[in-house]
Amino acid sequence: MVEAELERFTRGDIEAFETLFRAYQGEVYGWIVRIVRDPGAAEDLTLETFWRIYRARAQFDPNRPFGAWARRIATNLTLEYLSRRRADKPLDERLPPCAALPAAPDPAVGAEVRAKVMAAFGELPAKLRAAATLAVIEETPYDEIAGALGISINGVKSRVFRAVRLLRKSLERKGVRP
Amino acid sequence: MNEIDRAIEELLKRAAGGAVDCRLKRDLWPEMRPRLDRPPLRVPWWDLALAAALLLFLLLSPETVPGLLYQL
Repeated sequence: MVEAELERFTRGDIEAFETLFRAYQGEVYGWIVRIVRDPGAAEDLTLETFWRIYRARAQFDPNRPFGAWARRIATNLTLEYLSRRRADKPLDERLPPCAALPAAPDPAVGAEVRAKVMAAFGELPAKLRAAATLAVIEETPYDEIAGALGISINGVKSRVFRAVRLLRKSLERKGVRP
Repeated sequence: MNEIDRAIEELLKRAAGGAVDCRLKRDLWPEMRPRLDRPPLRVPWWDLALAAALLLFLLLSPETVPGLLYQL
């Protein structure tokens, strides 16, 4: 992406914004869907991310990488979404729909256990859940997660550790043992 | 991280169904474009002036506040 294009974007040029949107929409969507694991919600959040990007265009420094800035905004927005969803929805609605999953869950894991695991996971604080989703389920490199969350690699490790510990305790209360 | 924690991670991974398909299936620009055309929300200056006048009135005559609240 040429610097001149980024400068035009910061001045509110719609064509420059369209070029950026088309170049980065896939990357932003891909990042969000890894965290929320729901393609429909990820599309909405992608649009909202770019709307925030457009409104914050004057704060963007064209000398810095646009992708990293966009990913940071997308991550913050997604964490807000996860927090809201955790508070608003009853447990069964927080479970990711099977159709939205890339592959069927492991058949060795029974439906009841799966429901309990995902329910317990859905009860975790949004920041812990996002870190654990990216690190454990998506196997995203820790440095990539750290960059998007704006924390250190040790910070990511700590969040994943806390997420797993909380999940373990919650599953023990539900009578599930690995 | 001990063995039980690793087993919990493995259980979570299997229950969640593994990595999700990260590819965007369609262009989202047609949905983005109308948002940019929406006029920004602006409050007319006379509304602001009216609110300021009301606030000033209430500050200068606080005894009217209970009566006003009663009417609301």
